[in-house]
Amino acid sequence: MVGLRRLIGGSAGTLLVGVLAGFVISSAVGVFIQDSGLFGASGESPIAHAYMLGYLQRDPNAIVGIRPNQSIAQRAAELQGADASRATASIQPLSLTYIGGGSVGSYSVHIYAVDLRNAQGVDQFFSFALTVAGGKVIRRE
Amino acid sequence: MNEARAMATLALFAVGILGGVVLHAFLEKGPAENPFPALPKVDEPPAAHDFVAAVGAEDAQALSKMADISILTDLDAALQPIVDVRSTRFVGAVESEGRLLSAYVVTGKTAQGIDFVVGFVLRVANDQVVGVN
Repeated sequence: MVGLRRLIGGSAGTLLVGVLAGFVISSAVGVFIQDSGLFGASGESPIAHAYMLGYLQRDPNAIVGIRPNQSIAQRAAELQGADASRATASIQPLSLTYIGGGSVGSYSVHIYAVDLRNAQGVDQFFSFALTVAGGKVIRRE
Repeated sequence: MNEARAMATLALFAVGILGGVVLHAFLEKGPAENPFPALPKVDEPPAAHDFVAAVGAEDAQALSKMADISILTDLDAALQPIVDVRSTRFVGAVESEGRLLSAYVVTGKTAQGIDFVVGFVLRVANDQVVGVN
């Protein structure tokens, strides 16, 4: 009986370690393929993508985990600005285009073109260059 | 007996890995779709190409003839913290109603000798670089 328990316990342990290894390998390969642009992937970082969507949809909560830490006052001011912006519909995004990017070591840069219409009805066409490191957007130009 | 046990353990581990891959595929949905339309890419504007060639060659003389002081100031800000440009690469350009944005990735070293990468975008109009984002 003890032998059978040990066999089942050992087998479950092996299976669990295998599942964890498979999950981690799959995740790492996915990130590598996405970032390198292999197999038709754009090379766009999911972090940069999420940041841009959060920015254009004026949703600071969506990007709070992927940008450098801010003080409580800065976060409150940002939420206030986003609420006001949403309430007045002051900007209307017209397009979001991932142009391309590159990386050196643990730093990668991702460039976007944004077309939006402001409160005065004027179309603005400009770009963002996001630097990503350690799973966060550390710089926005 | 020992060989059979080792084989069974390896097989179980392999099944586990497969299970982990399948689990990852189920749980990882990837980034959200872009709800906004994307613009088509266009060729690199020649004016931007010449401008960035001068940056890559660290040819300050040529650059000084291509751009006014405000553009050079913006370029300096865009390149920070790189002080020694090692390579420049055109990554794409897009156009909207006659306004062109041409994007580049620059690698180089900071003042502390650390390898770094930055991206900047040139605004082009009437075959001239009119701004740096």
